[in-house]
Amino acid sequence: MKGLIYLYQRTIINRIKHALKRPAAYLMGAFILLYMAMIFFSFDMMIQEGDFGSPKNVVTILSGIILMLIPGNIISYSKRRGLLFRPSEVHFVFSSPVSPKMVLMFAGAKSFAINFLLGIAVAVFGRLWFDIGIFQAIAYFLLSAVCESFLEASLIIFCYGNERFTEKFFKRLVVLMYLFMAVIAGAAVILLLTREPSFQLIQDYFALPVIQLVPIVGWTIAVIRLMFLGPDTVNLIGTALYLGSTVFLSIAAWKMKCTGAYYEDAMKFADDYQKILQNKRKGIANIPWKKKSKLRQATVEYKGVYAKAIYFRQMLEYKKNATFIFGWNTLLCLGLGIVIAAVGYFNDAVSEFGEAKIFIIPAVVAYVTFIFTGYATKWSKELENPYTYLIPDTPLKKVWYATKIEHYRSIVDGILVTVPGAIVFGLNPVLAILTVLLYVCLQANRLYYNMLADALVGNLLGNFGKSMVKLLFQGFAMGAAIGVALMAGLILGVETGFFMMILVTGILTFAGAAIASISFTRMEVAD
Amino acid sequence: MFFAGKGTCFGFLQAKEDDLQHLDMSEREVVMLEIQELTKKYGKYLAVDHVSFTVPTGQVGILLGPNGAGKSTIIKSIAGLLRYQGGVGIEHMPARTLEAKRVFAYVPEVPAMFDALTVREHIEYIKRAYNSDITDQEINQLLTRFELDDKQQKLGRELSKGMMQKVSICCALAIKPKVILLDEPMVGLDPAAIKELKEVVLELKEQGVTVLISTHMLEMVKELWDLIFIMEKGKIIGMFNKEDQKDADIEELFFQITEGGEAK
Repeated sequence: MKGLIYLYQRTIINRIKHALKRPAAYLMGAFILLYMAMIFFSFDMMIQEGDFGSPKNVVTILSGIILMLIPGNIISYSKRRGLLFRPSEVHFVFSSPVSPKMVLMFAGAKSFAINFLLGIAVAVFGRLWFDIGIFQAIAYFLLSAVCESFLEASLIIFCYGNERFTEKFFKRLVVLMYLFMAVIAGAAVILLLTREPSFQLIQDYFALPVIQLVPIVGWTIAVIRLMFLGPDTVNLIGTALYLGSTVFLSIAAWKMKCTGAYYEDAMKFADDYQKILQNKRKGIANIPWKKKSKLRQATVEYKGVYAKAIYFRQMLEYKKNATFIFGWNTLLCLGLGIVIAAVGYFNDAVSEFGEAKIFIIPAVVAYVTFIFTGYATKWSKELENPYTYLIPDTPLKKVWYATKIEHYRSIVDGILVTVPGAIVFGLNPVLAILTVLLYVCLQANRLYYNMLADALVGNLLGNFGKSMVKLLFQGFAMGAAIGVALMAGLILGVETGFFMMILVTGILTFAGAAIASISFTRMEVAD
Repeated sequence: MFFAGKGTCFGFLQAKEDDLQHLDMSEREVVMLEIQELTKKYGKYLAVDHVSFTVPTGQVGILLGPNGAGKSTIIKSIAGLLRYQGGVGIEHMPARTLEAKRVFAYVPEVPAMFDALTVREHIEYIKRAYNSDITDQEINQLLTRFELDDKQQKLGRELSKGMMQKVSICCALAIKPKVILLDEPMVGLDPAAIKELKEVVLELKEQGVTVLISTHMLEMVKELWDLIFIMEKGKIIGMFNKEDQKDADIEELFFQITEGGEAK
């Protein structure tokens, strides 16, 4: 216990000290403060203008949060994936003479802290915006910080530390929770379909006795209703059951025998989580259900030497993939294309936008490209491979051949995004091709400007700072392209304007790629 | 399977973890680490198949075998990181009890440091977690011995793999354990650190500490071993006691068992 307290204390102090030395931390801090202030004022305005500030509404909001959080928590704890353990904890904590239950409590500290903060937030903002009394605020804080933490701690110990119930039992519990969530969602859908959708409908839904009497989840909602709306038979029964179950589960957890059999699952999750973190840092999306794909037999004929070899090697790797160069992103692009077409069709976009309809797809694509960071593919792994740097060729050629397949992929994705909308909006073939070309340019721009930000700032400003620099470059390129396109469009016609937009984006992207090619001269990044 | 050593305790190896307290006094004095019918499955894959062995007090046992033989699984099971069938006893206590954990140290194959803790703070943490009586002077000596004295203020995330391994070893030694488990401890260490580690193991042995090392590097444990347990495909296929083997070469013994003939 002394060891764990020391560990957490030093970790927090060292992290704060380290953060204060990094300029990116100040930037991030200022950004968060600004963001929080914006959220506060926008909520304040919304609540005042919408006359939303009543205890009834705070009950509805909290009920929604409870319904979303508790079943999810129970599922993740039952799967023994709800608590984050790091490999360092596996190394130094699991084998140390600390009770495995105590280890769970320290790992759950973050959840308890969230309960504490939620308690404060609801108490403060409840008083400020929702007209709740001082005793109600204090009672909610105590419920969240004390009762909820006890309940959560008991659930953690019950799910992780339980060495009596079999794996099968917990698998069934998970299925039961999913079923419960499906029933809750199903009931909500039925209500939405059979009655006029309104906020009142949501309030009526949470007031249903059947919801309030669902074990743990519903009982928590019942306590909230009792606290803020006053007693009725259902919420009194729910509250009694909530308090009884909290006390019962706490005693059961206290008495439960736990020798640390969960360490194996926690260790495996720690390894998996490390991989997720590493992938996240590289921008690789984690698909939980994705299993390791089997590779096919394939061959490739190397039609070139030096940097070209990078391209042919990548092609060989992709040919071994069951889906070749395509993946989830291809499906997402098709989905996006269908959504643009469907929304346009149902909202009669052709008559709404008139001549400007040709900008619908580019605008959506530009927004998506600007907002999302993209996904890492084989090209980014080239930068981790020492042989890339040793190949006797120019950095620019290496950049081109390492990323060439990305452009092929962009062409296919661009067609999928464009064609459904082009049919619905009745775009002529030239404009449709120009839209695909613009998509390819924007994707290339994102790819090379990401590389450029990496090459210029490296680890100097952290990931957040790097993203900001990239967005700045991208924003400048898009702004310049749109400016030129507008001028050309006004003077020479829409299609020329469109073509000029692609040309300017292309030139600026090429310039970015040329500068970014310094990434291919050495492995080291700026620190 | 055969065993060529003295002082073995096979008589009570059938006992499971719960029965470890039933050992008689003479056996209790001799055996510090005992593994009984240890079996570990990963899904359908049988990683360790009914393995039993003991390491008497103050002796160095070596788990020897190729990659994937099940050595690390045994070490991790002893350290309480895995679920298993069978029994593991440390100082006649089930290994999962806090009393047993207080007297054993574990050096994993891949060390993992706390990102935000300095080298010195790692040892300070261990001192508190195990309530170790190691003094500041002893900590300084330990760090100097493994050439970490000038890196005390470095954070865990700033260390190279070799340095992490050294910190991991120092942390294990800071416990002042009665049993120490070292999983491939030489991997990633520089020659000076390997030499130092070998000396440390011999000193521990002199102090009566029981050591279990898992390795596939025969060369590295030549002068250290008292007992060798040769593993293949999750089973112990041979055991040797140095006292009985006198001048026998470890390589010769290993290949004699694994290839059923001459040493290479």
